[in-house]
Formats: sequence, C-alpha cells, structure tokens
Amino acid sequence: MFDRRQDLKTIRRCKRGEEDAFKEILERYRGPIYNLCYRMTRNAEDARDLGQEVFIKVFSLLDRFDENYAFSSWLFRIATNHCIDHLRRNRLRFLSLDGGVGQDGEEYEIQLPDGGPEPDTVLQRKEALQRLDEVIGQLPPHYRAITLLRHDQQLSYDEIAEVLHLPLGTVKARIHRARNLVQQMLKARAYDI
Amino acid sequence: MDGREHQEDVTLACADTRDRLQGYLDGTLAKSESVAIFLHLRDCGGCREEHEHLQAMFSMLDELPQLPVPDDFDARILDSIPLAAYREMEPLRRDRVPVFLEESYLPAWLRDARTRLAGLSVTLAAVIAVAVADQPQPLLLAAVVGAVPEILVRCQGWARQATLAWRRAEN
Ligand SMILES: [Zn+2]
Repeated sequence: MFDRRQDLKTIRRCKRGEEDAFKEILERYRGPIYNLCYRMTRNAEDARDLGQEVFIKVFSLLDRFDENYAFSSWLFRIATNHCIDHLRRNRLRFLSLDGGVGQDGEEYEIQLPDGGPEPDTVLQRKEALQRLDEVIGQLPPHYRAITLLRHDQQLSYDEIAEVLHLPLGTVKARIHRARNLVQQMLKARAYDI
Repeated sequence: MDGREHQEDVTLACADTRDRLQGYLDGTLAKSESVAIFLHLRDCGGCREEHEHLQAMFSMLDELPQLPVPDDFDARILDSIPLAAYREMEPLRRDRVPVFLEESYLPAWLRDARTRLAGLSVTLAAVIAVAVADQPQPLLLAAVVGAVPEILVRCQGWARQATLAWRRAEN
C-alpha cells in the first residue's frame, strides 16, 4: 500500500543529505509509526518516544538499508522490534486478563472525531471499539504486532512476511491465531461486538 | 450438500468451514473453497452466526481510530539527522566504482605513458613490416601485444566513465 519506488527515490535524496527528503519520509510515515507504537504500548508518552527513536535510528542507518526490500518493510520491522523490545524491558502485564485497565492502571478513552450529539448506535460502536482496543493491548506482543500490521496498517500478508522476515504460511497462521485470541478474550469478558 | 443425511458429515463440514472462515474473509482461499464455504454458510445457521461475528470483528479491527501525532514529534528527529555526514559521504558514494575499474587496479608500469608509447611503436613497426615480410604471423602477434597496455587503460577508462554516468543518472 506504500509506494515503493517513490520511497526509494526519496531515500536516495536523504542519502545525499537533503533535509526536505527526510521531511517527506516523516510526512508519509509518522502517522502509521506513531499509531503502531501507541497501540503496542497503549501509552501516548511512550509512543512518542518510541516513534521518535525509530525514525532517529532509521535516519542514521540509511547506508545499511538494502534497496532490494521496500523501505516501508524495513521501517515497520525496526518499529515492531523496537516496541517489542521496549515491552520486554518493561515487563508489562501481558495477558493480565483482568481487563478494562490501561497500562497506567487508569481507564482511558479512545478519541473519535466529534460530530455533535451522538446517537445510541455511535455510542455503542465507540464502546465496542474501546473494548477491542483494550483486548488488543493485552495480546502477547508478537500477536499484537502482527494484528496491528494487518488491520491497523492494512499491510498484505506478503508485506507482513517481508516486514517480519517470516514465511507466508507462518504469517497466516499467526494472524489467524491472533484473531482467535482476540475473539476468545472478547467472549471471556462477555463483550459483544 | 448432502451433509444433512449424516450427522458426522455435518460436523466435519462445520469444523472445516470454521477453520477457513478467516481465509474466506481475507479473500485468500482458492475460488472452489470460497464457493464451498459460501454454500455452507447459506445452509448452516451456526456457521453463519460465527461468520457474522468474525466479520464484525474484522471490520472493527480495520476501523480502530488513528490518533493524531503530537505536534512536537518531528523536532527531536530532525535535530538528530547526521545531515553533514551524509553530505560528506555523498561524493564518495557517488564516485564509487567496482575495484577492477579503479585506475590502481592496473600496475603503474603498465599505465605509464612510456610503456604505452613503446608498445604502440612496436605495433606500428610490426604493421609496417607485415607488408614486406614472408612470415607475417610473428609480426601480427607483436602488433597485438604492443597495443595491449593502451587498450587496457582505454577500456578501463571508458567503463569507469560509463559506470559513473549511470550511477549519477540513477540518482
Ligand atoms: Zn456449519
């Protein structure tokens, strides 16, 4: 879904030290990367720090970028690994099934674009999304990452295989397993969606 | 299909269908498999319900709202970029050619103008001598050998220029 050739051109300009090219990359990817980090950590502060660190790392390592791969794959790979490392370091409460609580121990709310008074269905939808978000936040990190790459970032199976350096079959199996987990966790809390 | 006749077949078909529902929704199944599942869903209330559940979950997963990125996100990143280093590296990177195209790959004595000139003189003398000689083969050989240093240096130079031009065009 990302334009590979366009990215390659921009990256080559980055390697020549053109500041505008770096800004273009940020323009294209800061949203996806920030959101990936946010959903991985469920914490806005951490997401900002991690997202920035990912770009800092990528921008200082451009000489190591292998042009046979898509830049987006490389970027998502670094971001995914960085988040998983962060979670591992902090030993968060993975899979603590006493849900409803974010990592800071506070309830938090998903912000949807606000458009005047909300009818019941919109409210229900919002609540359901919030529960789903919660459940994703409690998946084990590898399953969480793969679910987000597929659904939040809308990458194809092939792209995910390239990002994670995994065989296509493993990617499919993991995504299926992750969704089954989500479904089980929703059911376990009697959440209806 | 005729699964309804045998309870066992029904459960098998259901188990099979449920295994593949995700692939069905992802659109990654073979056409024949998709059709089989479509038909099963039409006939089986239990699987249909499962399908609807899954479909609802998929659409919710796809719809998780995107958060706005904090305004000050870029500043720290832009400050950290080693722009100067990239600019310094650039000419080196751009003018890099394969080792065998570098001048120093050929020995200095061979690149020496005197060697090349001497070689060409041999070639010239040999070519002239061929016209009057009874045995032209050794002279032809001398003509070719004499031209070798000049040919090597020239060809390497052209190949180097072409590589550099191609590199620059690519960027
Ligand atoms: Zn069935």
